[in-house]
Amino acid sequence: MAEKSVKNIFTQGAIEPVFISDSIAKHSSKTNIGAHSIFLGQVRKDVIDGKDVVAIDYTTYEEMALEKMHEIREAVFAKYPLACMHIRHSLGKVDAGKICLFVFTSSAHRKVAIEACEEVVEKIKAELPVWGKEIFEDDTHQWKENK
Amino acid sequence: MDITVLFFGQLAELAATNETVFQSVIDTDALKIQLHQKYPQFADSSFIIAVNKILTDQNTPLFNGATVALLPPFSGG
Repeated sequence: MAEKSVKNIFTQGAIEPVFISDSIAKHSSKTNIGAHSIFLGQVRKDVIDGKDVVAIDYTTYEEMALEKMHEIREAVFAKYPLACMHIRHSLGKVDAGKICLFVFTSSAHRKVAIEACEEVVEKIKAELPVWGKEIFEDDTHQWKENK
Repeated sequence: MDITVLFFGQLAELAATNETVFQSVIDTDALKIQLHQKYPQFADSSFIIAVNKILTDQNTPLFNGATVALLPPFSGG
């Protein structure tokens, strides 16, 4: 694997809506694209044993996660005729209601963009070494587990 | 022979560190035994193991300088 093609996907804190709109705007010159599909993960204020989750604190095994993300990206590009794919995942503390995952796929037609986007999201959830610590309003916490 | 062991997520919290070094462990089965002796608080925790960033689900020989990561269930996204 070419080291230079392993891209960073992590960003400290929440992913701001303006980053997402800028990302969309950058594609206006790529006129071969006819469809974008976007998934946004948002930190949910779960209530567990009567206590509100106020934030999730994300950590990762960064070197391994970036290599794994590279593998996922290559596999999805090999399977679908995508024009491009952009991924951002938060690290550190993200408050409830804020965006923590951004997956953006683009292609000539909608089905490819939608299916590829879903596949990337599922693979990120299942295969990326990232851990979320759910922080409650009273500063206690528990470790999240993906279902 | 030094084996670096990395802890993540809940395991880092339970171990109260992100990293430690073990000497003279020949494979991942031997490492697991030593880990549970050194960190009895791991007894109820599930994790998978990556040796030099490659996931392994069977006993794997360890060589000097290897990095072993203990990975609790993932919860990204």
